[in-house]
Amino acid sequence: MMLELLIGVALVGALVTFVAPNRIAGKLAFAISLVPAALSIYLLTAFDGSGNALLADGGTIAFESSVEWIQFGEYTISWFVGLDGISLPLVVLTTILTTLAIVSSWTPIDDRESQFYGLVLFIEANLIGVFAALDFFLWFIFWEAVLIPMYLLIGIWGGPRRKYAAIKFFVYTNVASLVMFGAFIALVFSLDVTTFALPEVTAAMLNGGPQTEIFGLGGTSLASAVFLAMFLGFAVKVPIVPFHTWLPDAHVEAPTPASVLLAGVLLKMGTYALLRFNFTMFPDEVISTFAIPIAVIAVISVIYGALLALAQTDLKRVVAYSSVSSMGYVILGLIAFTQFGVGGATFQMVSHGLISGLMFMAVGVIYNATHTRMLTDMSGMADKMPIAVGVLIAGSFAYMGLPLMSGFAAEYFIFFGAFGSEFLEYAPIFTALAMFGIVIVAGYLLFALQRAVFGPYELETDYDVGRAPLHDIAPMFVLLAIIIALGVAPELIFDMITDAVDPILEHGGES
Amino acid sequence: MIGIEHYIVLSMALFCIGLFGVLTRRNALMFLMSVELMLNAANINLVAFAFYHGNITGQIFALFTIALAAAEVAIGLGIILVLYRNFRDVDVTVPSQMRW
Amino acid sequence: MEEFFTYAPAIALLPLAAFVVALVFGDAMPKKGAIAGIFATAGSLGLSLLMLAAVASGEVHHETYYEWAVGDTAGHTAAEGIAFTFGILIDPLSALMLVIVSLIALLVHVFSLGYMNAEGEKGLPRYYAELGLFTFSMLAFVFADNLLMAFMFFELVGLCSYLLIGFWFRTKSAPSAAKKAFLVTRFGDYFFLVGVVAIGATFGTLAFAGDGSFVAEAEAALDGGETLFGFDAETWITITGLLVLGGVIGKSAQFPLHTWLPDAMEGPTTVSALIHAATMVAAGVYLVARMFGYYALSPSALAIIAFVGGFTALFAATMAVVKDDIKQVLAYSTISQYGYMMLGLGVGGYVAGVFHLMNHAFFKALLFLGAGAVIILMHHEQDMWKMGGLKNKAPVTYYTFLAGALALAGIIPFSGFWSKDEILYDAIILGLESNVFLAAYAMGLLAVFFTGFYTFRMVFLTFHGEPRSDAAEDPHGIGWSVKAPLVVLGVLSLVAGVANLAPVGKLLDLDIMFLEGWLDGEYGGLEELTYGFYGDMLPYETALIGGSEETTLLVAAALSLGLAFSGAGLAWKLYNVPEPTEHTQRLGGARDVLRSNYYQDEVQVWLAEGVTLPVARAADRFDQTVIDGVVNGVSSVSLFGSSWLKRIQTGLVTNYAALLVAGFIGLLLVLGVYGGWFL
Repeated sequence: MMLELLIGVALVGALVTFVAPNRIAGKLAFAISLVPAALSIYLLTAFDGSGNALLADGGTIAFESSVEWIQFGEYTISWFVGLDGISLPLVVLTTILTTLAIVSSWTPIDDRESQFYGLVLFIEANLIGVFAALDFFLWFIFWEAVLIPMYLLIGIWGGPRRKYAAIKFFVYTNVASLVMFGAFIALVFSLDVTTFALPEVTAAMLNGGPQTEIFGLGGTSLASAVFLAMFLGFAVKVPIVPFHTWLPDAHVEAPTPASVLLAGVLLKMGTYALLRFNFTMFPDEVISTFAIPIAVIAVISVIYGALLALAQTDLKRVVAYSSVSSMGYVILGLIAFTQFGVGGATFQMVSHGLISGLMFMAVGVIYNATHTRMLTDMSGMADKMPIAVGVLIAGSFAYMGLPLMSGFAAEYFIFFGAFGSEFLEYAPIFTALAMFGIVIVAGYLLFALQRAVFGPYELETDYDVGRAPLHDIAPMFVLLAIIIALGVAPELIFDMITDAVDPILEHGGES
Repeated sequence: MIGIEHYIVLSMALFCIGLFGVLTRRNALMFLMSVELMLNAANINLVAFAFYHGNITGQIFALFTIALAAAEVAIGLGIILVLYRNFRDVDVTVPSQMRW
Repeated sequence: MEEFFTYAPAIALLPLAAFVVALVFGDAMPKKGAIAGIFATAGSLGLSLLMLAAVASGEVHHETYYEWAVGDTAGHTAAEGIAFTFGILIDPLSALMLVIVSLIALLVHVFSLGYMNAEGEKGLPRYYAELGLFTFSMLAFVFADNLLMAFMFFELVGLCSYLLIGFWFRTKSAPSAAKKAFLVTRFGDYFFLVGVVAIGATFGTLAFAGDGSFVAEAEAALDGGETLFGFDAETWITITGLLVLGGVIGKSAQFPLHTWLPDAMEGPTTVSALIHAATMVAAGVYLVARMFGYYALSPSALAIIAFVGGFTALFAATMAVVKDDIKQVLAYSTISQYGYMMLGLGVGGYVAGVFHLMNHAFFKALLFLGAGAVIILMHHEQDMWKMGGLKNKAPVTYYTFLAGALALAGIIPFSGFWSKDEILYDAIILGLESNVFLAAYAMGLLAVFFTGFYTFRMVFLTFHGEPRSDAAEDPHGIGWSVKAPLVVLGVLSLVAGVANLAPVGKLLDLDIMFLEGWLDGEYGGLEELTYGFYGDMLPYETALIGGSEETTLLVAAALSLGLAFSGAGLAWKLYNVPEPTEHTQRLGGARDVLRSNYYQDEVQVWLAEGVTLPVARAADRFDQTVIDGVVNGVSSVSLFGSSWLKRIQTGLVTNYAALLVAGFIGLLLVLGVYGGWFL
């Protein structure tokens, strides 16, 4: 019942905050969000699962609960939630980032606060649902429900081009969901199952595969078609080049806390779903058909995303494009299909969530003071806001993969896992090419730092640029502490991740 | 002997008259009456086929339709009144703002 | 003495503690964090000396302290799994290096009291915190027992140098130099990281020493004639070794990644001393020495090291000849000297390379701190043409600086002579057998001449002649905290050569090659990390002039000493006059080339701004127009389509009814055709 409690608290909290007076909404939402955060940390300590939630062989699902919900012809839809080593870290990431995002919005949000914080809590509930749900329909409801509050957050509290960005974000990801949904339903109908529970679908898929033909496709060719359609569907969410263009617009227009959640958690939904569906359910002969093309676009995402970030002059756009690059690493790790590769990819989801959250917060704090994000306008911010800039520098180095911070652990695991992969042909070449991203990432972040925060202080502004208040700074230090903790001791979560990844690899990968 | 064909012809004729009214008249009241005609055409069909098949369902359906038509007239007249109040006219081509 | 090793982690952790203390409490402390740093580095020095004593007593410490991550290896390796760990390896090499690093760090901290505190700098807690972190990273790098740990602290060293070079961040130039330093070394580290990943994925271990070390695995693979990643073992070892070498070339400022180092002079001079003598730059060469066994398996990799080193030594020395800024001269001399070390290691002179690393640490720290003292004297003027005549006004600075200069120029009996001579000796005996190495030797030898010249040009311009500016007329005073480190280092520069008087020992048949014995594990050491072991692995054959070791020794020493003296003598003739003139116009066209550093910077700036940035901008334009254009195009098409289609909706109820009927009839027709009613 723990997960129901977690989701329930966030949902009820969202409702309460929605009707609360604007004046207290921020503090109230913070207080409410502490409950899921504390609960999820409790879950981390009380975690008793093992193996992968979708692959039943010998493992147990933690905090499992299942109730039949809807009978739909011969198919059963149930409320089926549970966690394993892959989803639990992401749930904790969600709750912690939400709490911190709420605190970081106290300064910038000064309009319709109760609605804002209500929506943030509503997102949190749905994100937890996405990571916890083990029934396809339930999962899909949460998956789609995340879009609505995010659409509103961007569309109401966003920047000047917020409507364009919000609609682009919504329509783009929604169309992708449609493709994915259709493909998955087709797959279920072709399989010998009467439920949408993911473990059973996975088992049917791996032991036998599609039984009936759909649109004249059957067996492996149907599986390949579904794999491709689902990959495309998730690729938009991740996002993978060339489906990434909604991301910078959404990030730049979104208010800081929404950017934090967008980059921190929403992008992970895509990679999480890729891992859960594409790389768990499909037998390796299907995956290996697409291995080379996927590796190619992973490398392109890394390098191309980094080059795009290099060309930007808006600090927030720099960070936004760098997410494209970082997500490319995740794809590379997944397609390597080794323990370090897939485990590292999962680790990178968590790590990138923390680091990009930190970066967006730091950029947001500077923006709160200067009301500009253009690198060309700013100079010498370190003089005026030493602590915020210090955090920005620390975050930048974390992003570059500085050892003893989580980014390095994640990237190293991915590189190590990918380099030795036999599943992926030419793995060393792909890995070496993708690794060049670490040079470009250093290039654009250091360039941005040099322009914006160093040098003599020059900024033409009517605003009083001074030190940021404590409640702007504190969340960043919490994130920094977690980043360093994970960098020094990746085993804190890497252990449970590999435990959940191993069963996947036994079905064809290299464990 | 009056067969099923006669009823169908009658109902078709009635329906076409109603349709003609809907397509050509601009007066809202005429509109409403034309719709009533079409409904009654359907009713005739229902009753005729019910009799033909020896099944009572169609007749019950006709009763429902008559009740429905009464309600429709009430709402329709209400709309016409509002139309008149707003446009000082019952011409259906005058209010054309309800589009993109 | 084994129990001393319990304290080994504290060597690195003490400066880390100083970092935290200075960062958090620095502002409230009397000397703004300097005290914490001094105590921490003094503690590290004490502990390092204990380690040295323990190793001398025959003990070696190799222990894994912490498991960072464990997992399965995949595919290409026979190893079941791999554990990435943090461990400490204290053997003769690392114990020696620990002492050097902590000593220099301590002296730099003390010197900073006079250089930074006394000058009323802002941001001192930040400065001392960063120094502490720098020392921590370097010490941890030195005693790392595996390649990944080494890489991690190698990167942290890079971070600290970024922060310290950019210490004066309010200027335009310092942040730019810091960025350049980090980026250029990062470029090298990219190859290093690929190398680390490749070695780990190939051998399933990254340990430097022990039964399962990657060196042992590589040797086994070589003996077994295995195929690794589709290459034969030797090729693959060469490839991975060269990848790791990329990091070395970046950090140790070897050609072509040396360009960051002269710019790094933007940092405080104390930081330059630390970077050049003991930390950052030394890290690269130390890494080659640390994994020398691996390179010994690959003759091609060693040859490349030798040639890169020899070329860099000469190349950098020529650029130092025309510099006007005292720190710039020293910067190029550093590049050149590290070139020597690479040359030494590349020709199999493991002892010679390490020996020069040690001596260079002392005399280069001395020269930089001396330059720092000169800069204090000169009221922060660095142009040598504005100096002159400081000899009598600051005798301590002069004589210590002179000691450093003599060591740098390689004048007997100062320390630099002994180690440089040994490197050149190792190069010539190899070159006599395999003649291609004679080219590397020749470059190293020629560089000796330039070294002698630019070193004494610097000394004469700075200290001799008449004062050429008001500042030089009336120098600022310097305190004990500046003088004490100079004296310590001055003495060391003079006597450090005693550690390995190889020519004397060989000529007189005395057993006084202490360093060689030390590195050969005579006092204690791990067998597979000794000089003798490396010697057996090395694929090199050597030859001697006339078959006589004495002749070869004497010829080599005479050649290098003669060139050093002639370089110094030329400088004496040109610049040891009351009113020296530049003389550089005599170089003609070469002058411009040298002044602009062979246009190296231009090439790299062009690579960054002329190639990468336009590519990035083009990618951005492509993204905005083509990719996003397609996305927006889809929405435009649908918007346009619907704007056309919406005209059906007229708002006239009659039209709707007509459409309804038309649609109904159309449907009937379609159904009729398909249903076959019309047939």
